[in-house]
Amino acid sequence: MMKRREFVTASAATAGASLLGIDAMAETLANRRTWVSDEINVGVIGVGSRGKYMMRLFLRIPGVRVTALCDVYEPRFAEGREITGEDTPAYRDYRQMLDSASELNAVIVASPLSFHGEHMVASLERGLHVYGEKAIGLTVDDCNAIVRVAQNSGRWFQTGLQYRYAPWYREAIDRIRTGEIGRVTHVYGYWHRNYNWRRPVPDPSLERLINWRLYREYSGGLLAELGSHQIDVANWIFDEAPTSVIGTGGITFYHDGRETFDNVQAVFTYPSGGTHVFSSIIGNHNVGYQVNVYGTGGSVKLTLEDGTFYYEPARANSAVPQELIERGVHTSATLSTRGDMPYRGPGLPIEVPEGEAGNPTFLAAASFIESMRNNARPFADEQVGWRSAVAVALGNRAIRGERHVEFAEHLEAKE
Amino acid sequence: MGTTVEIYLYASSGERAAELLEAAFAEIERVEAALSAYRPTSEISRINATAARAPVVTDPEVFGLIALALDYGRRSDGAFDITVGPLVKAWGFFRADGCHPSPAELSEARAKIGWQRVALDHAERTIRFLTPGIELDLGGIGKGFALDRAAHILRRHGVTTALLGAGRSSYLAIGAPSGTEGWAITVPDPSDSARALSEVQLRDRSLSTSGADQKYFDLDGRRYSHVIDPRTGQPTTGMIQVTVTALTAIDSDALSTAVFVLGPERGADLIEDTAGATALLVAGYEGEHRVVAIEWSEAFDPRGR
Repeated sequence: MMKRREFVTASAATAGASLLGIDAMAETLANRRTWVSDEINVGVIGVGSRGKYMMRLFLRIPGVRVTALCDVYEPRFAEGREITGEDTPAYRDYRQMLDSASELNAVIVASPLSFHGEHMVASLERGLHVYGEKAIGLTVDDCNAIVRVAQNSGRWFQTGLQYRYAPWYREAIDRIRTGEIGRVTHVYGYWHRNYNWRRPVPDPSLERLINWRLYREYSGGLLAELGSHQIDVANWIFDEAPTSVIGTGGITFYHDGRETFDNVQAVFTYPSGGTHVFSSIIGNHNVGYQVNVYGTGGSVKLTLEDGTFYYEPARANSAVPQELIERGVHTSATLSTRGDMPYRGPGLPIEVPEGEAGNPTFLAAASFIESMRNNARPFADEQVGWRSAVAVALGNRAIRGERHVEFAEHLEAKE
Repeated sequence: MGTTVEIYLYASSGERAAELLEAAFAEIERVEAALSAYRPTSEISRINATAARAPVVTDPEVFGLIALALDYGRRSDGAFDITVGPLVKAWGFFRADGCHPSPAELSEARAKIGWQRVALDHAERTIRFLTPGIELDLGGIGKGFALDRAAHILRRHGVTTALLGAGRSSYLAIGAPSGTEGWAITVPDPSDSARALSEVQLRDRSLSTSGADQKYFDLDGRRYSHVIDPRTGQPTTGMIQVTVTALTAIDSDALSTAVFVLGPERGADLIEDTAGATALLVAGYEGEHRVVAIEWSEAFDPRGR
């Protein structure tokens, strides 16, 4: 069985850079079937918990088959075949899969974060559309390489930031844009859990392979695995990328040899004056996942399953249209806070139209397949992924010791 | 599921146990998120919203589970029916009013149910509702399926001794505690919860009980159970409690519900037709309880009281 260390060594030649020159790439693209029929064949690189979850969702889309599996850990082959219900070919080396599985149209990349760049770049260069899990890359260089190759490949790249496809997020952001909660200045994002973030390991030699999230060589820790979503939602709301971050964090709960922090706090600043405060703690579950959007006229709370509007009491700085204040009064959602006590009443839930509800990750997967079939750019494309992932990478610099990081010092002039 | 899941297991350390429990609970949450008819983001909600208009493709796991549930509908002549939801709602609504639904209201609800009105295409992996208004509710086997899946995950991680329970009505045992025949599960006496009707040493098997909640309602001088018979559209009468053991928790969940509706005679046929299944029934006749054992090898109190 190949250990992660060997895997890293074996693939060092391709890390960070493309093996194929432009000519070779063009030839590969010409050989690859570009016309996407009703039948779409998908390969999976990384058949861990996320890869398996994504497989189930893709198998709910008409005409989609999962025809190739790749993982360095062989027990995953049987686990993947249990999901496909067939004897799906499985590979230990992703290059072998890309070479052999000529029927593939697309690849889901759900490997550990430090391998995303290598796996996504290689898949795009082979002429495959890529659904790439977030964060798109561990380092700024990884992220830049993926965007460059995606834009030259003629193939679609979609990042696994699925709340872009959640109907209640889309409606919330549409309404925020119309000024319904006034001038939006702050986003407070949380993802708090209460367990040690460990997976059971069958043998101590497999610790870093199974629990890669806990080791900096492979992982961006909580800011990457959880915070990518809140960071993306803040980017979406402010409609721009942050330009600086201050951060802190530590190992407070689980002194078990892990390297990534079990609690992180980061504050991102946006050029137009917006601020995103993010917190992730894995020793208390009180707030769970939420994104709170604060405007001068109201607030929005977004969760994994729904969203709610709250309106501020009418004050001089309120930008809320009179008609909406009346809706708020009518629902007793506003104008009832007493002094500076926290508001504890109901809000106005976002109504998802009949037939539009759905699991955001399924909607994201289905939209990716639609992008392939209709040759349309994904909403959560490589640029969306890049903005979130570089904020994670630079946020981690701040959290891990630099405290304050100016993005301009680490990014080429792009965007 | 809206129920509490408990897991007891043996592990080399507290930390190891915590990781194993998290892995099992994560699987139960995954199953719940896919199967709950009450979550708008679930796969079942997606199927319910669209399968009357066009065939819906679903993944092999969900498809297989629906196929199995419909097969229980066939084997029980419709006593177990995952489409019974509209009928349950109709009775629930009218019960709150303290009266019967009218024949017209019942026939309206009955027009929206029927396991035969769900068409499967195994080659395309699609589900289609043949009439509008059908809603799937896997509540009758969802708990059992979640326990089966969680046990599968625990076994994959090398666990050889564990007991999983959902809502004190479904149990699934992996192995047995050291030095015992199995995990001791009490089948309660429905007329006296302090007494045991029987005790099972559960080992690599499941046990489910229907009716143990002792929920009844009285209408027009008759006592009805909360379990609706999908075949008649009426609440079942005459059955107090059904306990089934089986090889999987899906089986024990489906069988306990089906036998509760079918009654002792047809219920016995179904149990005998299912490899590895046993049952202990408490039926009520004019105030007397009669205990019926089907393939049941453990001792039990035949008086039942």
